[in-house]
Amino acid sequence: MTDTFGLEIYASNKLVYAGRARKLVLPAVDGEQALLAHHANIVAAVVPGEIRFESEDGVQSIMAVSNGFVEMVNNRAKLFCLTVERPEEIDIRRAEEARERAEEQLRQKQSIQEYHMNQMALARAMTRLRVTRKQDV
Amino acid sequence: MANAKEIQTRMKSIQDTMKITNAMYMISSSKMKKAKKVLEDTEPYFYNMQAAISRILRHVPDIEHPFFSVRHLVPVNERKIGCIVVTGDKGMAGAYNHNVQKLTEEFMEGPGHYKLYVLGMVGRQYFGKKKVDMDGSFRYTVQKPTMHRARLISDEIVRAFLDRELDEIHIIFTQMQNAAALETVNMQLLPLKKASFQPSSLPVDIPLEEIELSPSADVVLDTMIPNYLTGVIYGCLVEAYASENNARMMAMQSSTDSAKAMLKDLSIQYNRARQAAITQEITEVISGAKAQKRK
Repeated sequence: MTDTFGLEIYASNKLVYAGRARKLVLPAVDGEQALLAHHANIVAAVVPGEIRFESEDGVQSIMAVSNGFVEMVNNRAKLFCLTVERPEEIDIRRAEEARERAEEQLRQKQSIQEYHMNQMALARAMTRLRVTRKQDV
Repeated sequence: MANAKEIQTRMKSIQDTMKITNAMYMISSSKMKKAKKVLEDTEPYFYNMQAAISRILRHVPDIEHPFFSVRHLVPVNERKIGCIVVTGDKGMAGAYNHNVQKLTEEFMEGPGHYKLYVLGMVGRQYFGKKKVDMDGSFRYTVQKPTMHRARLISDEIVRAFLDRELDEIHIIFTQMQNAAALETVNMQLLPLKKASFQPSSLPVDIPLEEIELSPSADVVLDTMIPNYLTGVIYGCLVEAYASENNARMMAMQSSTDSAKAMLKDLSIQYNRARQAAITQEITEVISGAKAQKRK
């Protein structure tokens, strides 16, 4: 029992996962970051991307997350993201359309504000697609 | 006394109106139930997030961040205050919209420049006719609040705040205290008050661990706080939507009740009128017959 830590994953509309985990890999601002049991206390920003975690009994899960942050204190990790989706919940066609829309928008001349928003939208769409593709293989 | 035919027509029209109010009652009650369910779903995220932010502030008490800056340098009379006003898309909800409008107008009497971001058709039309600074491009519906809409709204106001277009941001919406009582509230969104995160009485011997903020405190707060605001705005929208439907439900309930009372009165009147007509007819027949006899 010493090599696991408590993990709670919160999306804005539900508690996605609560239980023990062995490993959590998440997309941080400067690349992927892995959290293992007894990690030093840390609060880190999370960018849109995929998270992978291994639960206590060795089951691997992969999910798509949007902006948020993770808090690891006293061997308990809490991940807060606006959306957290399992691959089977993702509507591939919708994500595909969103990606095309975002790419199209990025080609237009626009303000920095719009540029950032579209870039974020593109990142979310790409993550969703990537996560579903991994599931299929 | 009105004649029986007229009373009957009136009763018919009241019955028809009652059907409509009754239907609206049922629709809003089901909408309210749905909204309450959604609100409950968001609660764990929201409370835990608040706890996390308060934990960070507790460990890093002397944090300096634009979202917490009160901007003391801006004089009170020149402060630009943005205000999100959540009204309904339609009326027929008792005093719901009126209360929000009243509170907004009271709030706008204070010093400073006010800019309104109005949600909902009723408020937009009301403030559109007045001489107030209203953001015309801010067009969102209040029906079925979604996270996406909350994110658009919070992106917009956070940008305005950071660009110093606004120095303070408030939201005026209606909160449901219980099934019967609604309260219109004015909440400050930005700048955040540190005090509101801190529990009033911290035990003295609470262990303070060291927490690393990765990559830096600024970056963490930069993502956390807009997220937190999105959550708050979403919560407010859902709460307002539930309140609106609750207000409409109560309004429709009371109008159905008064329609029933009117129907009761009218049916008594109708019966009287009918009885009077019968009595009169009988009198006429009898007196006619008597006159015939005397001949």
